[in-house]
Amino acid sequence: MADWQKILVAVDDSNLSNRVVDYVGQVVSGHAGVQISLLQVYPEPPPCFYQEGHNLKEFKQEKEEVAHEVFQRLIPVLAGYGIDAETIQTLCQMAEGNSLSKEILKVRDQGRFGTMVLGRRGISKAEEFLFGSISTAILRESHDFTVWVVS
Amino acid sequence: MDLCTDNAMPQHPKTLNDIPQDIVALFKAHHVSKSLRRQPKVYTDTSNFTSIDYGDIIHIDGRYFLVTAYAVEGRFGVDDQPKQWVPKVHDLVSGQSLILKLVFHETFSVDIGNFTINCYRNPEKEARILEYTQGHERFMQGYSVEDDAGNLVRILDVVPGRRLDKHIYRHECSHEEYFYTYLPALLREFLACAQAIGFLHRGGFRHGDIRRDHIYVEYGTNLFRWIDFDYDFYLPERPFALDLFELGNLLMFLIVRGDCRERDFIEHHYIDEAFLSTISAEDYSLVSKTRIVNLQKIFPYIPVELNQICMHFSQKSSVWYDTADEFCVDLEKAVATLS
Repeated sequence: MADWQKILVAVDDSNLSNRVVDYVGQVVSGHAGVQISLLQVYPEPPPCFYQEGHNLKEFKQEKEEVAHEVFQRLIPVLAGYGIDAETIQTLCQMAEGNSLSKEILKVRDQGRFGTMVLGRRGISKAEEFLFGSISTAILRESHDFTVWVVS
Repeated sequence: MDLCTDNAMPQHPKTLNDIPQDIVALFKAHHVSKSLRRQPKVYTDTSNFTSIDYGDIIHIDGRYFLVTAYAVEGRFGVDDQPKQWVPKVHDLVSGQSLILKLVFHETFSVDIGNFTINCYRNPEKEARILEYTQGHERFMQGYSVEDDAGNLVRILDVVPGRRLDKHIYRHECSHEEYFYTYLPALLREFLACAQAIGFLHRGGFRHGDIRRDHIYVEYGTNLFRWIDFDYDFYLPERPFALDLFELGNLLMFLIVRGDCRERDFIEHHYIDEAFLSTISAEDYSLVSKTRIVNLQKIFPYIPVELNQICMHFSQKSSVWYDTADEFCVDLEKAVATLS
């Protein structure tokens, strides 16, 4: 089993991420040896993207700028719980050829994170069927790591 | 028959004067030219497909295609409308009938229940699928080539057959007779088509427009073949969800031999209004609230194995198919019970 103190927190630009990060701060505050990484994953561009004349480099740049603002908003929340901001890793990744949940799982696996933290929006079954639920998908694959779901 | 090489021809032929005389002779011998009241144009750039008309010639890939008609399709509640970007053509040299698909990019929204999903017409995707499924008997065959303006034109073999939604009504009989006599063979073919969708998904492709008139049933063999994969949709977390949803709808269409809305069952006298009180909320589609998917309540002779597949698309279900392969495993078991 991977080290639970290596914590991967999946975030986005929603208010839910504030609650997720706040929860993490409350739980791990005072624990020595905890390593926190914030991860923002974004999907590939839509099918019409290239035909409309956009390019991938600019798309990725835009997404990374948004992610940077998200991280800048969330790191102080953790710092407020005494977690050294310098130790917080940030990752921003495009889910290339993957669903968002599969990309998150790939990062988790590559980084050997023992704990994953996610937000859960609370959506209808129909919405989940069509649009998916990242938290449900990740819970299903949580064989050798721990998942905290914050709703 | 000698054809002039491109070196001997103008860069962008526009009239019959600009193409080889032997091709002109073939055109003049064709029945289409007899009824034409104007001079045909010859296109090597298909960008403005609305200007390409019956009797015109499209010259691409060294071939001369005479436009003889247009494909038609019903969509959004409107009956069959001609698709100007899909001319039916004759290859003037070989005499082969083919279908061309010209480039037409389109973005629109589709309402699925209470949800809106963005869909895209994506010629490039269809071209890649044609390559990926080359030689696969469950997919229409063809290839793509760029015209002079770089438009990716798809040159498609005609599937000699009947649309599935017309094929299933060929025999006049009761539903029960249809279910026992004709449905098993239909479902075996449908299973092969669903497995073909699994093949597509494993290659990273969506069909994008699974519907009852996008399967053709070949004359003679009764083999089911998919057509029309230039639509795409964008669901990053569930990239194949719409294909799976439509596979379920298509299966239910085959089982019922029609639509599954309350009013359809009433109109066909399978049930009456009073019977609706025995249908609970859980018997309805997860996404479309007027469609009954617990079909065994309407047709008690539907075996449990087959009905369970339909119930995976119901409001009762909390577990649904993630992949076409999962759907096919269950369908294969269900089809075995009918044989």
